[in-house]
Amino acid sequence: MDPFESIKATFFQECEELLTDLESGLLAMERGEKDSETINAVFRAVHSVKGGAGAFGLEELIRFAHVFETALDLIRSGKIEPTDEVVKILLRANDVLADHVQAARSDGSVEHSRSAAMLDELQTLIGAEAAAALEDGGDDEDDFGFTPVQMVVEDGGEAPAAEAEPPTGPGARVWRIEFQPKPEMYVKANEAGLVLRELARLGSTEVDVDGAEVPPLDQLMAEHAYLRWTIKLTTDQDEAAIREVFEFVEDDCVLTITEETGGETFEDEPPAVVPPQDEFDPAALLARLTGAAPAAEAPAAEAPPEPAAPAPPAAEPEGMDVAGLIAMAQKATTDAEPAAEPAPKAAPAAAASAPPSSTASAPAATIRVDLDRVDRLINAVGELVIQQAMLSQRVIESGLARSSAVALGLEDLELLTREIQDSVMAIRAQPVKSVFQRMPRLVRECADMTGKKVRLVMEGENTEVDKTVIERLSDPITHMLRNAIDHGLETPADREMEGKPVEGTVRLAALHRGGRIVIEVSDDGRGINRERVRNIAVSKGLIAEDAVLTEDETDNLIFLPGFSTAETISDLSGRGVGMDVVKRSVLALGGRISISSEPGKGSKFSMSLPLTLAVLDGMVVTSAEQTLVAPLSNIVESLTPKAEEVHYIGGQDAVIRIRDTFVPLIDVGRALGFRDTPLNAADSVAILVESEGGGKAALLVDAIQGQRQVVIKSLEANYQHVEGVAAATILGDGRVALILDVDALVTTSRRKSAPREKRMAV
Amino acid sequence: MTKTVLTIDDSRTMREMLSMALVQAGYRVIQAVDGVEGLEILKSEGADVVITDINMPRLDGFGVIEGVRANPDHRATPILVLTTESDVAKKERARQAGATGWIVKPFNPVKLVDAVRRVAA
Repeated sequence: MDPFESIKATFFQECEELLTDLESGLLAMERGEKDSETINAVFRAVHSVKGGAGAFGLEELIRFAHVFETALDLIRSGKIEPTDEVVKILLRANDVLADHVQAARSDGSVEHSRSAAMLDELQTLIGAEAAAALEDGGDDEDDFGFTPVQMVVEDGGEAPAAEAEPPTGPGARVWRIEFQPKPEMYVKANEAGLVLRELARLGSTEVDVDGAEVPPLDQLMAEHAYLRWTIKLTTDQDEAAIREVFEFVEDDCVLTITEETGGETFEDEPPAVVPPQDEFDPAALLARLTGAAPAAEAPAAEAPPEPAAPAPPAAEPEGMDVAGLIAMAQKATTDAEPAAEPAPKAAPAAAASAPPSSTASAPAATIRVDLDRVDRLINAVGELVIQQAMLSQRVIESGLARSSAVALGLEDLELLTREIQDSVMAIRAQPVKSVFQRMPRLVRECADMTGKKVRLVMEGENTEVDKTVIERLSDPITHMLRNAIDHGLETPADREMEGKPVEGTVRLAALHRGGRIVIEVSDDGRGINRERVRNIAVSKGLIAEDAVLTEDETDNLIFLPGFSTAETISDLSGRGVGMDVVKRSVLALGGRISISSEPGKGSKFSMSLPLTLAVLDGMVVTSAEQTLVAPLSNIVESLTPKAEEVHYIGGQDAVIRIRDTFVPLIDVGRALGFRDTPLNAADSVAILVESEGGGKAALLVDAIQGQRQVVIKSLEANYQHVEGVAAATILGDGRVALILDVDALVTTSRRKSAPREKRMAV
Repeated sequence: MTKTVLTIDDSRTMREMLSMALVQAGYRVIQAVDGVEGLEILKSEGADVVITDINMPRLDGFGVIEGVRANPDHRATPILVLTTESDVAKKERARQAGATGWIVKPFNPVKLVDAVRRVAA
């Protein structure tokens, strides 16, 4: 990927995190936490969104973020009081900002009226005066009209050095620059030498340094500024370019820049003459420093000092080291000396600093890795687990004693393998936060639409679960929350009548329980009206009129396909899908969902899901000499059928009576085509399973071998889809076992025995 | 010798932009996510140039500048602050605290490398 695009992708990813921080900060403010730490965090989030957007020239986003940021800045500085009313506006602004980010990401646009209305609201908040400043701040907007520059960067110093045009020809101008640093300049780690070096990049320079102020060494103060420079610069650049070189030091030095006119040009001066007395004389200076003035000065006048007196390279890092400065000044003079050359090479200093290319090392607490790579690793570990199991089995088969060195070594290997597998699975684990973070907005919107007052409480946001599971949590949670607000909570008026707080509470929680993740959505609303649920179920023919159901069973009727308790299909939970859809999608993930309710007090949905979709808890069974795996999540119970419980209908279709109901009996061996002859039910084992759709069936197999965790291998990816088979796995003995697609098997059987369906209770 | 630049910014986007431009220009880059981490890294790994954002959690850019200058080993380490054009006051405050120079956001990579070179020996 183009590096720029890749950073853009990072930006949008970061935006998501920032928006989450922003929202949780605003929610904290809503709860009354209005300390400066919270407000600052909120401000920073919007500020960072704006900053990044600026780098990519995302105008719409910048404009909105800017106004939003201004409002937050005023709150931060105490000019606006963050009242509940104000926080509510900010929360809505947060939603619009999220829309803007989304629009920028997908190259789309935001519903203009909504954004404009929000902007108006923010402007009103900011107040007339500040808003005017915003308008005036046209400059500020312009700053962000930044067009991304192709990320080709010249290599350290070399390229610009080459760029420096020979300062001859018609464009060449001669500037006289007087530069006298103040001590403050060195305190800020600026260096005169570096400024001179930069100057040299603009053209050819002749540098005079005045060291007259330098005291004897014993009086010299390291942080004082003693030197002043006069530079004659021949360049085709203008004054602004020269000023830019002094940008960082301008306020900490005395600087005059004048253009020299007339014939007094650089080239006119004889280059190799003995420097006049008051010019910089390193030897004299050094002599004065050491206090040996007169003796050393005499020869200096006669014989110019060793010119290239190999001064330490200009790359010397110590900023306040006067000796270094002197060395550099010396260097600048010597560089400028061979003025006969048309383009004096300013390169040495620059070249010394041109860093060799190297790879960056950026230690960070986290790294981002392609999901693809993680998946490859997981696959390989899956193979490792299988291979290890196979090896163990071989060792046992070969008759080696359990105490033998090989068997013991294998045991260690097994432990290690399991540890690796757990660690690898943990890589894919992510906190459910990424899903939870979207919910406050949903709740706000739901509340607005239904006119109810809702407070959302979230718990366990850091509970981790496999990435594949996370992606599929969103829909069921959305649905359960909508259901809780739409059907669970009463209207504020009703709540008041019942003596409840006007604001209803919806709680969304995640926790780990028994190797699974449990998501709970509970509300303090009216609870399920069991009588009504029962009447509806009867009227829709879902249960028999005289069916005896426990309270729990009644509550769970709402998961039956086609059930809807709302008398009018509301805008929210309506849409033709009911809780049956939620249940189906949860079951598809190998999960379970249930509801418990207390009239007048509220209801609680509880859904439990496996922590990963890469491994599966299964029951290993044999049928027609084939080894098969039935997902444990589908299995209700297993039993040994008696001959009199099996009834044949028509040809070979059979049903089995389990307590009061009949369920289709599926001979797995035949259904999958492993054999033709029917199995004698009495010699077999029946496994009662429940499909995703809630339909039940009994699977007839030869024997049950045991429960095992298996690594899922996709059949579609490796072979092709096979009806009735969900996937495959490799067992410890190396055999491939098919994982049954219980849903498909049950659906097929139910089609055949459709008339019986109605008699089945939940 | 390869120069090491320590970039301190809480925005990952900004850190990556800085890193990309500087690495392409041949610098070694170390990243820190806030002022506290920045000062820790500076202490343990050192750096030839420090680039710091102003608005950060835990310790802001001014705190970073003060912290760097308070460390005898780094009194002469150049510090560049990331600012926006609209924030003249912040720039001046950073300068007073001892910042060597500044980079105006949004920056372009050439300008950035230019600024670093201007302060790095």
